[in-house]
Amino acid sequence: MTLDRRGFLKLAATGTAVAAGSLAAAEAGASTGASAHDAANAFGVLVDTTLCIGCRKCEWGCNQANDLPKRERADFDDKTVLETHRRPDVTAFTVVNRVAAPPEVRQAAFAKIQCMHCVHPACASACIVGALRKQPEGPVTYDAWKCIGCRYCMVACPFQIPAYEYSRALEPRVMKCSFCFDRIVKEGRQPSCIENCPEEALTFGRRDDLRALAHAKIAANPDRYLDHIYGESEVGGTSWMYLAGVDFARADLPPLDNQAPPVLTETIQHGVFKNFVPPVALYGLLGLVMLSHRRRDGETGEEE
Amino acid sequence: MILCRQMPRLALFGLIGLWVLSCAGDAAAAPVKKTGHQQVPELNCRECHDCAQPTAANPCLNACPRLFSAQSTGAHTVAEAPEKMMLDRIADQYQGVNFDHRLHASMSEMSQGCSTCHHFCPPGQIPPCQTCHGGEANPQNLRQPSLKGAYHRQCLNCHREWSHETDCNVCHLPQAKYAKSEDKTDATDIMGQSHPSIRPPDKRVYHTPYQKGEMVTFYHQEHIDLFGLRCVDCHQKENCSYCHDVQKTPATRKSMEEVHGICSGCHESAACSKCHDRVERPAFSHASTGWSVGRFHAKLECRACHPTGKRISKVNRDCSSCHGGWNQENFRHAVTGLQLDETHAAADCADCHIERRFHEKPTCSPCHEDQRDFKKVPPGKYVRVSS
Repeated sequence: MTLDRRGFLKLAATGTAVAAGSLAAAEAGASTGASAHDAANAFGVLVDTTLCIGCRKCEWGCNQANDLPKRERADFDDKTVLETHRRPDVTAFTVVNRVAAPPEVRQAAFAKIQCMHCVHPACASACIVGALRKQPEGPVTYDAWKCIGCRYCMVACPFQIPAYEYSRALEPRVMKCSFCFDRIVKEGRQPSCIENCPEEALTFGRRDDLRALAHAKIAANPDRYLDHIYGESEVGGTSWMYLAGVDFARADLPPLDNQAPPVLTETIQHGVFKNFVPPVALYGLLGLVMLSHRRRDGETGEEE
Repeated sequence: MILCRQMPRLALFGLIGLWVLSCAGDAAAAPVKKTGHQQVPELNCRECHDCAQPTAANPCLNACPRLFSAQSTGAHTVAEAPEKMMLDRIADQYQGVNFDHRLHASMSEMSQGCSTCHHFCPPGQIPPCQTCHGGEANPQNLRQPSLKGAYHRQCLNCHREWSHETDCNVCHLPQAKYAKSEDKTDATDIMGQSHPSIRPPDKRVYHTPYQKGEMVTFYHQEHIDLFGLRCVDCHQKENCSYCHDVQKTPATRKSMEEVHGICSGCHESAACSKCHDRVERPAFSHASTGWSVGRFHAKLECRACHPTGKRISKVNRDCSSCHGGWNQENFRHAVTGLQLDETHAAADCADCHIERRFHEKPTCSPCHEDQRDFKKVPPGKYVRVSS
């Protein structure tokens, strides 16, 4: 078989078509990946920042329920910490901040921040060993036993939530809110922060019910709330959603794209390796080129 | 295959058909004429009634209808309200909170009344919080906070606004100092008391940014006395922080509509100069119109004579120019402060009031020749004029 110019182009076109087909299949898989578990029916939380009074009872509840350096309840009565802007760290999975409200807003607003438990989490997508996993019930959980400490999750997270135990020499862990996974799935209770919220500014429920609740709240009090549920569609949706009366960016909730970051990255990466079709097609093509060249060399040799 | 594809559509048509038939059947079987509130198209029966066919005997009212507020609960007074409430459901964790219901009820009269807190009530009732807000959060109804959430939201919604205190121990006494609040003998304790009555100002002068007339003089007391206005008629949506905010910040700028809305609700005038002036204005005096209201009309509300708010032209001092319908039978002379005796009551009005000119001094001379003065020898007895 000789490979003339026309033959080569045909072959190349076939290879490209196969690769493109597998990419398309992978993309379809990625977009349905978010609903591989039932996102609407999974657990979520609605945070109403207009109700939050900054009492820090959620912080205390979190401290008690998780493997964190234990502190007294009285420690959390200290309101002076609200004067400075804080972020979750290895000692606290959640913190409350005073929202820097514009001067025309007389009411001080507060917002609790923690892992948003994205519907399609970038951290889990970035994790090369599968230590971070999106559970069908909603939480994004972390398995310290699998973790190799690469900290890709910290780079990937659009909310910069995962913290790392740099101070721990042996077996440092990535630290972030677990949505009290064992508590809500095995014990059937609510997360500790939510149980401890006196204002019930945090509402625990099915994500779809919470969306309906949030829309009802906005419709009933258009003066009180911005007409937006943060986390309903940001980064492809998050399990924790927020209502606010002032710009969300002030409450540490940055404006983000509605597409989940993994949709793009996974489409490319999974597409390339889907069913090994592109590598097989590529090597097949190269093999054919090699074969045809060897034959041509042989023919030329015979002529000589 | 085609049939399979059409199945959902066929099923849909079938369902619609069934629904139409059932509706027609209902209408034929029970041609109930809708009356009263049933005629309101947007009312959903199930919003208030728990059963399918409520009757007058068994209205099966929903205890927590979100449709109604306690505005419709009618005449409930502060005196009827419980005086104190001990909120001690979680006594194992915190001491009971001694809630002064009477004080809060009297304060609520300055804003939205009972409905300030008792927001969704069946008509005519004011159930306690526990009726709707059970002990635990109900996952079936996320809109309804549990009792813990309901209490905290109600209390803090106002308290955070004016005292800005959100510390737990503002209401929950710390365990170490355990002592029943009811036992307190502190003289400054406000338990069970009502909000002190607020003395309204006589007048207020507003300085506005309107250059052609920056001052608006508002006679506050006059509006209460003359127009019989209640506080809440003008002071709507005002809450504790309106008076009590300890950290007042420049209030949000009100829009033109908001500022003028309170006055324009009654005063229909497009002319700015109606209220705005460069100087402080004197109070309105009826004498400035050329007609002094005098003692007989001073206590009347403006609307009694000006039902449409318009000026009355061609008023003269003759009573009959307005009170044309008065005659000897229907006029009670006692309203003038003089009750006629039997002899004089039988006399014709014009006997004393010459040519029925009532604003002029009456005379006795047509009957009495002794030149007597009616004040010294009254034709009856003087009585107190009831206002």
